[in-house]
Amino acid sequence: MSEAAATRMDRVHRPGPRSWAVLVACEAKMVARDTAGLIVPLGLPLLILVMSAGSAGEVVFENGLTALDLFVLPLVVVLVIASIGIINMPSFLAYYRRTGILRRLSVTPASPAMVLVAQAVVSVAQAVLGMALAFGVALLALGANPPVRPLAALGVVALSMAALYAVGMIVAALAPTPNSAVAIGLVLFLALGALGGLFGGSHTLPEGVAAVGEWLPFGAGVQALSAAWAGAAVELQHLAALGLAVIAGGVIAAVAFRWD
Amino acid sequence: MKTTTPAILAEHLGKAYRGRTAVEDVSLRVEAGEVFGIVGANGSGKTTTVEMIAGLRVPDRGSASVFGLDARRDRARLRGLLGVQLQEAYLHHALTVDELVRLYRSFYAAPRPAGELLELVGLAGQGAVRFEKLSGGQQQRLSIALALAGRPRVVILDELTTGLDPRARRQVWAAVEAMRDEGTTILLVSHAMDEVQRLCGRIAVLDVGRVLAVDTADGLIRRTGAADLDDAFLSMTGRGLEEMT
Repeated sequence: MSEAAATRMDRVHRPGPRSWAVLVACEAKMVARDTAGLIVPLGLPLLILVMSAGSAGEVVFENGLTALDLFVLPLVVVLVIASIGIINMPSFLAYYRRTGILRRLSVTPASPAMVLVAQAVVSVAQAVLGMALAFGVALLALGANPPVRPLAALGVVALSMAALYAVGMIVAALAPTPNSAVAIGLVLFLALGALGGLFGGSHTLPEGVAAVGEWLPFGAGVQALSAAWAGAAVELQHLAALGLAVIAGGVIAAVAFRWD
Repeated sequence: MKTTTPAILAEHLGKAYRGRTAVEDVSLRVEAGEVFGIVGANGSGKTTTVEMIAGLRVPDRGSASVFGLDARRDRARLRGLLGVQLQEAYLHHALTVDELVRLYRSFYAAPRPAGELLELVGLAGQGAVRFEKLSGGQQQRLSIALALAGRPRVVILDELTTGLDPRARRQVWAAVEAMRDEGTTILLVSHAMDEVQRLCGRIAVLDVGRVLAVDTADGLIRRTGAADLDDAFLSMTGRGLEEMT
């Protein structure tokens, strides 16, 4: 075969479904083997749930729903999403960039963007696992009630995931090193959490601070989920706040993200 | 006059970073099946040159192609026929050798069998070992194996054996020789004269972003009247090897 003929035969090959599946499996193994990284997203929410369940389960509101259902469970669900989206995922991506893994992939037919998607898939799976664990324990062992509007609750969970992962992508785009990604992610996580009622509920915050918190993705997610749990209408403000976080995070990450 | 398509053709490549010139003017022609070396001191523009050829960096001036495929315009097609081992690139640390080979093979249409890849670089039997547990030499050999996963027609190897002990270097060299015997075109970047002398048919000497000479090792020694390749390099660049590391 002549060189010209051989070159003509070098067709563009893009990795197919099998390649995507292998990459997602590899990312899942990386996350599963980082056992320390699983403690915060899976262990911390469960701890908060169990510690709050005793007192919160006794405070009954209308329809037999308790504070455990209306305040603690929405908070725990958003906590799982936020810890994975803002702390874990950015630190993985910053590590990949720092060590040249993304650069190495960029010289293969695989796009480094495949890694972003695979990480997102694995992170979502991890969040679903964390939420299922917390929800299962709350339902089976702590006497909690499921949301009155389950579909609305699922929609809010999906939107909260998009919003908090978008915030995580900003961290991944701006953090220069894996350690700084963890540090920035942790500070941001605690700040958003504090303003969203993580420490004692948003009713304990000064009025102005609580109002700001409801425009940020953590607080908006908790409030929207709480409404869906109670069977009430989800406020437009909270949905708008989550939507704005998705857009802002997506735009900033798209502009600022570096492969190496 | 040569009429066949060269494996690698770089014409007047130039690149600067924030006003500092990394590559001034580099032109190279590498024929199919050739093992071609690029030597030069740190900062001579070796890595920037091969990164422009591989499409990892966009040149400010000039052009680069691999078997006629432009490094920028034909990037997607280029990825299918080019294998690259980067100077500083890590792999997923918690994945095993088998898992990494499976991952990289999955990117290509007709990959080389996993067993054959590991056999080629002397890592057969190490499949269950995690990347982070491999020695430096084993990590380097795995990196070469992954560069070969897609049966590339051209392979770029950057600082192949830097930091390896003599035994590991010889194992890596054996892997390169096996590639050469299969007819793969190899572009080898190194600052180890014994390495390029052993492996490369022709060698380009780079200095401050320019090509000083392209010749066989014997040719470089002869034209400078030096005793060996180290001295030939010193004679051409005015710098010794101790300044190159």
